[in-house]
Amino acid sequence: MVNKKAFYIFLAGTLTSLAIFLGLTWDTHRQVDALTNADKLSEQVVAGKRVWEKKNCNLCHTILGFGVYYAPDVTKVHKRIGTEGIKQVVLQPEVVFKDSFRKMPNLGVTEQEATDLAAFLEWVSKIDNHDWPPQDSEERMSAAERRATGGAGLSRGAAAFQQNCIGCHSIGGAGGSIGPALDTIGATYDAATVAAYIAEPTSVDPQSTMPPQTTVSDDDRSAIGEFLAKQQ
Amino acid sequence: MAEAAVLQTTMTEAAPEKVTGGEEVLVPYASQRVAYWYFVIALALFVLQLLVGLWLGISYAFTIPQNIVDALPFGLTRAMHTNLLVLWMLLGFMGGTYYLVPEEAEREIYSVKLAYIQLVAFVATGVIALVGFAFGWTQGKPILEIPTPLDFVVVIGALIFLFNVAMTVIKGKKTAILGMLLGGLVFLALLYIFGMPFYRNLTIDWFYWWWVVHLWVEGAWELVTAAILAFVLIKVTGVDRRVVEKYLYIETALFLFTGLAGTGHHYYWIGAPSTWLWIGGIFSAMEVLPIIAMVIDTFRTQRQKGVVIKDKVVWTFAVGTAVGHLIGAGVFGFAHTLPQINYFTHGSQVTASHGHLAFFGAYALLNFTMFWYAMPKLRGVRKVDATAAISGFWIMSLAVLGLGVAMAVAGIIQTYVERVLGQGFMVAQANMQFWFKVVLVFGVVLIVGLLMTFWQMVFAKEAPGEQEATV
Ligand code: HEC
Ligand code: HEC
Ligand code: HEM
Ligand code: HEM
Ligand SMILES: [Fe+2]
Repeated sequence: MVNKKAFYIFLAGTLTSLAIFLGLTWDTHRQVDALTNADKLSEQVVAGKRVWEKKNCNLCHTILGFGVYYAPDVTKVHKRIGTEGIKQVVLQPEVVFKDSFRKMPNLGVTEQEATDLAAFLEWVSKIDNHDWPPQDSEERMSAAERRATGGAGLSRGAAAFQQNCIGCHSIGGAGGSIGPALDTIGATYDAATVAAYIAEPTSVDPQSTMPPQTTVSDDDRSAIGEFLAKQQ
Repeated sequence: MAEAAVLQTTMTEAAPEKVTGGEEVLVPYASQRVAYWYFVIALALFVLQLLVGLWLGISYAFTIPQNIVDALPFGLTRAMHTNLLVLWMLLGFMGGTYYLVPEEAEREIYSVKLAYIQLVAFVATGVIALVGFAFGWTQGKPILEIPTPLDFVVVIGALIFLFNVAMTVIKGKKTAILGMLLGGLVFLALLYIFGMPFYRNLTIDWFYWWWVVHLWVEGAWELVTAAILAFVLIKVTGVDRRVVEKYLYIETALFLFTGLAGTGHHYYWIGAPSTWLWIGGIFSAMEVLPIIAMVIDTFRTQRQKGVVIKDKVVWTFAVGTAVGHLIGAGVFGFAHTLPQINYFTHGSQVTASHGHLAFFGAYALLNFTMFWYAMPKLRGVRKVDATAAISGFWIMSLAVLGLGVAMAVAGIIQTYVERVLGQGFMVAQANMQFWFKVVLVFGVVLIVGLLMTFWQMVFAKEAPGEQEATV
């Protein structure tokens, strides 16, 4: 009977594909610990994941590219703005995004929850996911960013700016919008003042809301200062 | 009732259900009537889904002040939009199943009471879930937001449903369509379980999230769709059952062969092994084949010698399902399924565009096909206003097409500005806002089309004029 044959084709096709699928699922479980640095998957990271879920962050943001497309992807956000940057955004979004045309709600996140979230996002940013997303890929450091930070042959200051500041500040239209664009900052501050500003913003501007960039070395701070002083 | 059953067995599949006395039996089995409330509630939830959708579009197109954003977070409405979608579609499938099974198995549903209990369980879960979201009672995982205790109610509801359908089939006639339908439904229910636990590792979390979402829409739901379409095809065109069944097997074989391993197209960038890029890319690219086969099959049926289309409205929706499936899932799915392209489009409005076109083209239209087949009969309406019904089809379909294309344009802008040029996310969004205004316009048109259809289906009186054979 024709339909019997058709039924066996159905069975064979399904089972082949199922075997491949389950085989690869097994392989994924085998490799996932190495690919995601499971040894660093601490209780604090898990606590951060729970906050992420409790506060519905995923219903505006994507993570690993999944979720909702209303707000920036946060897979590599820790590389862009760091622990302090994340905490500032989450604790006071109404301040950080007051000039933005799209707002993030204040979700009543506590200091502790914000720290856990940052730990979670730091862990996520180190998942080996084939260098996605493209806009955060260091390998593919975009042409626009290279243009923005000084064209061919990146100076040390430009490179350090790119590494530490571009997540929050833009130059030439490329970069983040949490802090102001720095295209003409050289007209306001000289190199030494910028270097001081980076380490302790309130020492220069008592009103400043920028988190101190404690992970930037002294040499990098001076180099960034010289680079920015030239932006007029 | 018993008389009707006897009548059914003596009829050939396609013959109009005429009782010798001249009176027509529209619904041969009394228990088929449970489908009515499933359909009406599904339709109402669809209306609600679209109203909430408008707020999403507004949030994209305009600046919402901080105090409103704090009070009515975007995420709440987005959770409602997708949960309502899944709920109404599942209710539609279940109602469709209850309508179809008695005619196929040639006996009454095992327990009508269970069917109503189960309906109440699902609707109550839905209402509690939606109200719960507003109070922050959520699992925070897109589409699978409902909290674990409610998950268990869903599972119990699903078990009741499966038991009820299985008992009916076991005691009645067994057909290939019933086998496929039941297989798809069991598969569907099993997959849901993988979305329930809390996973510590985010990568594993999303890995199993797709076991629900992908294996539903590109696996289990396809089986249910194929079975329901096959049933309608036989009823509306009167083609030979054996031919339809043969294609049913071949198409579902292709769906599962490509769709299971094709899950890999969601595992490219999540921290899973590289093998998925190959397997996912190749198998998911082939997912287009069964969809093309379905379209060819539908048109082949129509052209067959001696086939008379007995219900223009149902047939319009059935062909629309096949073509909509091809556009939304086939063309728009294929467009971003290869890793080389997906690297740039992943998680952008390109995805949202495909999501809308595919869900509407494949599953909303499928549900409407069944609704239009069953609702007039359930209401005792012998002739519907075909022109109004078919214009409803065109208004809704073109509105969704417009909405989907506008999102696709926004998505291409986003991909280029954010991912290729490396400008900020918000710079890209600023350039996309216009297209969300276009989305809103089409959204309003869609709501008008749906309300028209709702009214036609649920309230409109019998159309005047010659009585048409109601299949
Ligand atoms: C109602 C939607 C919404 C919710 C919910 C939401 N955000 Fe946001 N978030 C935004 C928007 C919009 C922006 C970007 C605003 C801008 O750049 O102008 C943003 C920006 C951010 C940024 C900065 C991203 C970058 O690339 O600079 C971080 C980090 C962030 N959100 C984290 C979170 C976390 C963590 C949560 C959950 C506690 C959360 N958000 C919940 C809308 C939301
Ligand atoms: C987490 C986000 C963030 C990071 C990372 C960051 N900044 Fe800032 N920055 C801000 C914010 C917010 C302001 C605005 C402060 C205010 O005026 O309240 C600011 C202000 C500034 C200003 C003063 C601008 C003006 O017009 O007064 C300078 C200069 C500056 N940042 C330099 C840097 C440099 C250099 C780096 C990298 C080492 C850096 N920032 C990293 C957020 C950030
Ligand atoms: C009727 C069937 C289908 C439906 C209802 C559907 C629906 C969806 C939805 C809703 C999403 C987004 C999920 C999310 O991230 O929130 C999605 C993603 C995706 N779909 Fe489909 N789909 C269907 C068929 C297909 C087919 C046949 C293909 C390929 C040929 C495909 C390719 C994709 C890809 C590649 C993504 C991921 C997009 C990304 O990376 O962001 N889909 N689909
Ligand atoms: C009034 C018309 C509609 C409007 C204005 C609208 C708008 C939206 C918006 C803005 C989103 C959020 C996208 C995101 O950021 O993730 C969304 C998500 C979604 N909508 Fe709609 N929608 C409408 C109708 C529909 C219909 C008819 C369907 C299906 C039949 C549908 C299915 C979905 C799905 C599946 C998602 C999730 C997409 C994804 O994750 O990629 N919507 N909708
Ligand atoms: Fe998929």
